[in-house]
Amino acid sequence: MGKYIAKRLLQSFFVLFGLSLLIFFIARVVPGDPARAALGNLATKEQVERLRTEMHLDKPFFIQYYYWLIAVLHGDLGKSLYTQRPVTQDLLQFLPATLELMLFATLISLVVGQIMGLLSGYFRNSWFDGLFRVISYVGVATPPFVIAILLLFVFSQLLHLAPGVGRLPLGMAEPPRVTGFLFIDSLLAGRLDVTLMALKHMLLPAISLAIAHIAQEGRITRSSLIDVLQKDYILAHQVCGIRPTKLIFKYLLRPSIIPTVTVMGMDFAFLLSNAFLVEVVFMWPGFSRYAVTAMLSKDLNAIVAVVLVIGITVALVNLLVDLTIAFLDPTVRIRRGG
Amino acid sequence: MTNRYKAITAGWKARLKALSRAWYRFSRNPLHVVGLVVLLLISLAAGLAPYITPYPEHAGPYTNFREAGLPPSKAHWFGTDRVGRDVFTRVIFGYRFSLLLGIVVLALSTPPGVILGLIAGYYSGTWIETVIMRVTDIFLAVPPLVLALAVAAMLTPNLFNAMLAISISWWPWYSRLIYGMTLSLREQYFVRELELTGASKPHILLREILPNCLGPLLTKLTLDMGFAILMGATLSFVGLGAQPPTPCLGTMVAEGAKRLPSEWWSTIFPALAIVVVILAFNLVGDGLRDVFAEEEV
Amino acid sequence: MEKKTESLVHVQGLSVGFRVFEGLLKVLQELSLQIRPGERVGLVGETRCGKTTTMKSILRVLPQPPAVLFGGEVLYRGKDVLKMSRRAIYQLRRSSIAAIFQDPLQALNPVFTVGTQLTDIVRDWAAGTGKKMSRKEIFQRCVEALAQTGMPDPERIMTCYPIQLSGGMRQRVCIAAALVRPIELLLADEPTTNLDVTIQDQILRKLDELVEERGMSILLITHSLGVVMDRTERVYIMYAGSIVEEGQTKEIFANPLHPYTKGLLKSAPRLTGEGISQGIPGRVPSYLDPPSGCRFHPRCEFSMPICQKERPPLLTMEESHQVACFLYQG
Repeated sequence: MGKYIAKRLLQSFFVLFGLSLLIFFIARVVPGDPARAALGNLATKEQVERLRTEMHLDKPFFIQYYYWLIAVLHGDLGKSLYTQRPVTQDLLQFLPATLELMLFATLISLVVGQIMGLLSGYFRNSWFDGLFRVISYVGVATPPFVIAILLLFVFSQLLHLAPGVGRLPLGMAEPPRVTGFLFIDSLLAGRLDVTLMALKHMLLPAISLAIAHIAQEGRITRSSLIDVLQKDYILAHQVCGIRPTKLIFKYLLRPSIIPTVTVMGMDFAFLLSNAFLVEVVFMWPGFSRYAVTAMLSKDLNAIVAVVLVIGITVALVNLLVDLTIAFLDPTVRIRRGG
Repeated sequence: MTNRYKAITAGWKARLKALSRAWYRFSRNPLHVVGLVVLLLISLAAGLAPYITPYPEHAGPYTNFREAGLPPSKAHWFGTDRVGRDVFTRVIFGYRFSLLLGIVVLALSTPPGVILGLIAGYYSGTWIETVIMRVTDIFLAVPPLVLALAVAAMLTPNLFNAMLAISISWWPWYSRLIYGMTLSLREQYFVRELELTGASKPHILLREILPNCLGPLLTKLTLDMGFAILMGATLSFVGLGAQPPTPCLGTMVAEGAKRLPSEWWSTIFPALAIVVVILAFNLVGDGLRDVFAEEEV
Repeated sequence: MEKKTESLVHVQGLSVGFRVFEGLLKVLQELSLQIRPGERVGLVGETRCGKTTTMKSILRVLPQPPAVLFGGEVLYRGKDVLKMSRRAIYQLRRSSIAAIFQDPLQALNPVFTVGTQLTDIVRDWAAGTGKKMSRKEIFQRCVEALAQTGMPDPERIMTCYPIQLSGGMRQRVCIAAALVRPIELLLADEPTTNLDVTIQDQILRKLDELVEERGMSILLITHSLGVVMDRTERVYIMYAGSIVEEGQTKEIFANPLHPYTKGLLKSAPRLTGEGISQGIPGRVPSYLDPPSGCRFHPRCEFSMPICQKERPPLLTMEESHQVACFLYQG
């Protein structure tokens, strides 16, 4: 097992290295002068030239990459041309908001999605199953930003049931920042009213993000459950007299969720990218909004850093998912010789 | 698994029979047919857009502030947007660009992806495979949307660049799919026979292995049309796609979203239009999956 | 009438069908068979003739849609299995009847170890009978059961996953799973068909041993006459959903009456150099639109006009030798 992890980590490093090279390449190859773009049209020629030398823009590609790589290994991701602050600082400010939202969305999609998928598969062709299949079909086909807009429109503006945009209502102060996670920080500061509001505000965006996953993963769980139900070993367990509750919750459940877990890794990547849009719609001060702004203003350092962070996160999550599968499904472990 | 796609390269009678059997399987679930019909209608409408829409000139630079912000009525089925353009017309024209985007993206990303996948799978065990698959992994390290956004952001925002950006992030998925299929097909007897009898590599790859991949490939292509349109809508939502005044469904949703809930029609209708076309592609894709599924006793 | 209470299992006039997309499959037709305590009975027939359906009916594990019960009863020690309460049937499965299946790989849950699966069976059986067993006792019992099936190094096997074992070993695990509790009847559905030829005999002999040791009854379901030859006292020959011949095994082999039985015997490959075996022309009929009258008549070389019109009743020829064929009527 240890060998397997080591191998995967090595693979991930290689891939991330290649990714950084790729994105760096694209960023530098693109026409336009980043130094000029950063300083604006009113800057003098000398100022632009100075910035260019500072940014190593006059040197060949690989030298530039080399400087950048050294800096990154020291934790310096460069300065954001847009915010004029170190990119690392920007990331630390905006990342927790997005992570919090994504974790909440994942929680919702896991609980709701898996339960619905399991019930659907077990009570195949019942009214519940039919309903779920319709929902999941539409859920997969609707872009999350459309869902976000619809939810915002219906529940917030039309029915006034849910709060509007932003993480907290206007005028409510944030608790002292420890982790950046409003949920944790407010609990630590003892401000339960903030906790409540933070949760309420997270509800709509999290649901917008979660629906696509409920649809997709729930479906897979459903068909996987149906598959397993037909298997001979379930029959054999029944015949051997295994108690029905144990049969369902132990012997039926585990083989059924394996295909879903496999998909979750890939789905996480999509969750991340969908967060971009949902954050825009809900004016969430998160990482994705920062990334989009960076991209729109051609903030090169920020763009490269953003892509790298996303790549690392995705690689980590994939590794986690792979390990979970290896734990759940011994056939994988055995085949991989771990 | 035998080479059951010999029928494709056989005579027209066999093809006709295969086609009618495919239709039977496709139409077993009426929803698939509904999807197909909807797609045909949309394609037709998009193709004939200038002739069938009530206000074709609204698709271009047109302003009429007297008629701006009108709710849906007999004259304007979907109402008008903030500069007075008929939303219905713009939605139909928007479909044009969406479908165009989907087709171009797939045309750009599929051939390289498929060819690379074939080569990587066939030369499995050699450095060729390692190089190709590692490169594929690099492109797959970030979600396709992020990559497309990053690339699109660095180029001038217009429709073609958007298509280019999406294609760059899309090809690796095809390469992976075809790679996997080629790996297993390579072991089949009929490939071995051909190698022994000295068939050329391009022939084996293109005329023997590829036709056997056709099933999942076609299914994926259809479903991907939906995804490509979704990505295109997303890019234009952020402002990186076709620029105004070109009607693009994503941009329309973005513009209209700013003025919710008062002028809901300028957002909701384009949004629904997006959902409908993606749903239709998904239904047809599902139908194709049924067609190519292994026969059950 | 005392025969009914004497027998362990008495299937009486069972008719079962399946509702599928294309229509209604009429599979079992008024099937009747008996198994007495300690008896070894064979059920022989081609693939798809309804043997597995019969077995599943005895255990009441046929999912009721799509299966449809048209009539008949399955009596276990006089009580109708099909009408029993749920608790009663669970009890039956735990303590009285066990089954082993054709494909041992499919019959074992791939994501749990052999040990987990076996101990759970023992645990639930103990709970059902009100016994209290410690973990160690349960473990010991499983290990013993494995050892009895001839499995080498049973303690290590307990920690293995099914895919780590060979086909023969997996089937031994299934047998152990069946025998780890004291049952009265074992239903064995093609227990060796999927195994290597070299292992088949071993497993069958081991089964024999175990059955005799415990005085159990066994219903050996197979498509091969060779398997039932020296291993059963009585045998039922089944075709397309009904019993066509039944009797003492030796008698059937010496004096087969039904044309189908004769065909089966002829098609069994012999190593005594009598040439290539001959098969029976034709295939098992479709259950959607089965042949009228006797379902075998399209393939029968002795078919008469009446065979198409009516179903032949079961006629008693000699002591316990019965056949369903118009050839022997009158």
